[in-house]
Amino acid sequence: MQRGLPMQPTVVLLKEGTDTSQGKGQLLSNISACLAISETLASTLGPRGMDKLIVNDRGEAQITNDGATILKLLEIVHPAARTLVDIARAQDAEVGDGTTSVVLLAAQLLKEVRNYIEEGVSPHIIMKGFRQAAQLAVKRIEEIQVTIDKSDSEEFRALLIKCASTSMSSKLIHSEKPFFSNMVVDAILCLDQDDLNENLIGVKKVAGGGMQDSLLIRGVAFKKTFTYAGAEQQPKLFKDPLILSLNVELELKAEKDNAEVRIDQVSDYQAIVDAEWEIIYRKLDAIEKTGAKVVLSKLPIGDLATQWFADRDIFCAGRVPASDLQRVVQAVGGSIQSTCSDIRREHLGTCGTFEEKQIGGERYNLFEECSKAKTCTLILRGGAEQFIEEVERSLHDAIMVVKRAVKNGEVVAGGGAVEMGLSAHIRKHAFSIPGKLQLVHMAFAKALEIIPRQICDNAGLDSTDILNKLRMRHANGHIWFGVDVDGPEGVRDNMEAFVWEPSLVKINAINSATEAASLILSVDETVRGPQSENPAAGPSMPPGAAQRALRGRGRGMPRR
Amino acid sequence: MAEHQALYATDEYGRPFIILREQGRKVRTHGVEAIKQHILAAKAVANIIRTSLGPRGLDKILISPDGEITVTNDGATILSQMEVEHQIARLLVQLSKSQDDEIGDGTTGVVVLAGALLEQCEALLDRGIHPIRIADGFDRACKVAIGHLDKISDTIEFSAADTGNLFKTAMTSLGSKIVSKEHEKFARIAVEAVMTVADLDRKDVSFDLIKVDGKVGGSLADTALIKGVLIDKDMSHPQMPHTVRDARLAILTCPFEPPRPKTKHKLDITSAEEYRKLQQYEKEKFTDMIKRVKDTGANLVICQWGFDDEANHLLMQNELPAVRWVGGPEIELIAIATHGRIVPRFEDMTAAKLGKAGLVRELTFGTTRDKMLVIEECANTKTVTVFVRGSNKMIVDEAKRALHDSLCAVRNLIKDNRVVYGGGAADISSSIAVAKAADEIPSIEQYAMRAFASALDSIPLALAENSGLSPIETLTEVKSRQVNEGLSTLGIDCLGKGNPDMKEQFVYDPLISKRQQYLLATQLVRAVLKIDDVIIAGQAED
Repeated sequence: MQRGLPMQPTVVLLKEGTDTSQGKGQLLSNISACLAISETLASTLGPRGMDKLIVNDRGEAQITNDGATILKLLEIVHPAARTLVDIARAQDAEVGDGTTSVVLLAAQLLKEVRNYIEEGVSPHIIMKGFRQAAQLAVKRIEEIQVTIDKSDSEEFRALLIKCASTSMSSKLIHSEKPFFSNMVVDAILCLDQDDLNENLIGVKKVAGGGMQDSLLIRGVAFKKTFTYAGAEQQPKLFKDPLILSLNVELELKAEKDNAEVRIDQVSDYQAIVDAEWEIIYRKLDAIEKTGAKVVLSKLPIGDLATQWFADRDIFCAGRVPASDLQRVVQAVGGSIQSTCSDIRREHLGTCGTFEEKQIGGERYNLFEECSKAKTCTLILRGGAEQFIEEVERSLHDAIMVVKRAVKNGEVVAGGGAVEMGLSAHIRKHAFSIPGKLQLVHMAFAKALEIIPRQICDNAGLDSTDILNKLRMRHANGHIWFGVDVDGPEGVRDNMEAFVWEPSLVKINAINSATEAASLILSVDETVRGPQSENPAAGPSMPPGAAQRALRGRGRGMPRR
Repeated sequence: MAEHQALYATDEYGRPFIILREQGRKVRTHGVEAIKQHILAAKAVANIIRTSLGPRGLDKILISPDGEITVTNDGATILSQMEVEHQIARLLVQLSKSQDDEIGDGTTGVVVLAGALLEQCEALLDRGIHPIRIADGFDRACKVAIGHLDKISDTIEFSAADTGNLFKTAMTSLGSKIVSKEHEKFARIAVEAVMTVADLDRKDVSFDLIKVDGKVGGSLADTALIKGVLIDKDMSHPQMPHTVRDARLAILTCPFEPPRPKTKHKLDITSAEEYRKLQQYEKEKFTDMIKRVKDTGANLVICQWGFDDEANHLLMQNELPAVRWVGGPEIELIAIATHGRIVPRFEDMTAAKLGKAGLVRELTFGTTRDKMLVIEECANTKTVTVFVRGSNKMIVDEAKRALHDSLCAVRNLIKDNRVVYGGGAADISSSIAVAKAADEIPSIEQYAMRAFASALDSIPLALAENSGLSPIETLTEVKSRQVNEGLSTLGIDCLGKGNPDMKEQFVYDPLISKRQQYLLATQLVRAVLKIDDVIIAGQAED
């Protein structure tokens, strides 16, 4: 399929089997691909949004409402449609919420300008128009956003709770909104307010119980590790213990794997045995001398050491997962030691209370009132694994929203209110622009309406009717009117109804949606290399791809 | 085929193009159709275990892939052994498991309730009510029902001396199980076991201290509660004494043999002299070891490892009864029960580390040579073992499960001593309350709440049906009496005692168990209703 070349001789430009398609047709088909994706996602938006059940090829099921997670699990291969996955992921990484809106918005932008493309408007003009309109929108948000007053901590907290509950309203935990929003806000307020590193919020899942049984631990918690006989005789509760974190194996063992001892004298035999015991006892003695009451190790702590510690009223846990130990060290202070000798006081951490506790069917080790870092752990409960996972995802979104609100402190009204406001603003502005750009601005304004429209559709309301009402209100200067899925009227002042979102979420959503739309518009040719010789299996999956897909929301390797 | 593909799009020439990986093999169901499918699956599961509900509920036989047979009546066990494939059905399985983990009882009821709720949804969906509004309505109804449960609950009194009420609760939870022949005995064992280990001030019962052991043989009536530890081992030498009074136990985790370095080693023996020395050394070691144990005053050795015949003989000679090959967890249990310390090597033996027990004896069973070791009158009185006997393995296993349920029921009462009345009384009463509250609501949720009320009726209905009563007649009669007489204690008289007042029949359910059932079932239904799109990847080709 090489064009523009003389008939003879054929110049082979691309590798055989390479698929190229270009031109307007390509552009349009890219747009349809994006629309198909956004249609799948559309029904999850808003407080009456639905969930998706996605079963992967190994039969593992996930139930989710989170845009970024759904896109991940769908395993999209279409190159243009993948752009949408990327922006959802970027939104997730950046602000953590609004992933569905950003995809919907990008797709809607493309849909609105499809006609212009068909009519032959240059994509560059459209892109320029989009960019201008997006700038306009962002500026407008900055103009109208409301700054949260942080001076009154009591009130500030109440405001944060409202932000959190808005982000939860579409999720499974909707019915327990007050409970979870309190929990999320408490968790965020636990953290160091200047840093707000959400990685310090650990999330542990314990199946069983109801969602209401979830707990917030102000400290670190991890599941009891495998223990040897004797562990039950160790004390399980300490006040202000010293905590020693090790990377040492405490077991009676061969010191070198491929060494061999040659013994000439029978009398030496016992000496060797004693020497081995001596090694481990020396280690244990050194540990006891440090005064540590809680000994944790990444490597196994054998039965001998366990019983030895039990004798001396010391608690120990071996094979602590590295990420948990890291969090403990961050929280209680000290550092992980790779040797037992020369451990000084400054290498030990401490915390207010340490306890081993039964939570549901499992035992947990809890470190509370930690001295060093402010950290907390959410222990999530739920009737089924899928529940808990979805609760975790929803809480992640809420945590991110609250974090943003604490950091920036500027909010706008949700429920489609701000989109309607922006739409009206841009439309008004558009009339002052001569030329094709006016059309593009109008298209942008129209595209913004997809958010309230979809919320209405999902809630089973008449979207055209509601949208007309909203337009009217906004034209009259009520800038915070948005969709109300509960009331009989269908619209209300969402600022007063406390449906709030951090303005950063919106700004980021509009920017990335515009960029994604521009990117797709600027592509007019796809060159796809021939598939590797593996006809049946399709594109072979890189090892771990499925896992990566399951992990969801672009958080990278979990560090907790 | 188009509607079965996960995503379908065509370019302007009408050619389909691929958006998803392996698009052709992904199956998608969408919208109301998806919800209906889920409801169907959930109903199927609920119907399977529906007949196991109540005192007249029937058992199921489950045969595992390797031919192992389980006969049970316990909802959680049935579901977990069924190996359910369907995603939504699997949610129900996890639901009953989570009731089991948290409460330990009422696992059948929760699934029946969830199934009934979903069944009601079907009709509501057909009327075109938005699934989430249904879920919202259920949530509201659930709140009403739980509030009502709180209201009708009764506090029952018990103390360490007076356990009559606990006993009755245990009886209720055992009512439907295979052990109902030995009903009273099991209930008494359950109450006694829990009361022994319970910390009444902290309202805490640690199940780690209650061990349930079983052995085939004898009959259910031979089941006994042992206040101590039971291990499936015997003395290492047949001539050792079979009973030890005032035992002082040395608990060892090292074998009775000359210690060996862990490092790879080699001993070259070059002369007869050397050889003799080695032999001498070993012999010395043995005598030394026994001496060390003897010196501490121990008169029983519990060893995690084995020892050879020579050591066995020496122990015998020195009148030191010993038990070998005791597993790690048991060692720990013995150490806790006898306040002993586990000793890793002979050099560390001291008198203070010995465990103390009043009586250690070997149990022999019938004509079989099987022996078990019982350690009783331990220093720590808070460990008990329930030893279940039964004529075959299935019965023993089922009896263990039944016992677990009743242990949980008693434990729940110690945690929270409020009860509601069983036999469907609480469900009927809540149903009436919810139906009444429904009429006060102006929005669509009213329908959902009524549906919730009818779903609550499904538990008494199933009870009546399983008891061979005519379900609707019985339910309506009880219901009208509840309304007319204002008695919330009236329930289904499953056992035909002629008195439907559950308070007088002493049929109790812990309040937290009922509550949890309602909450979990409502949550599950919400999750199912919220799904409108199912995308299933094709199974990987083998």
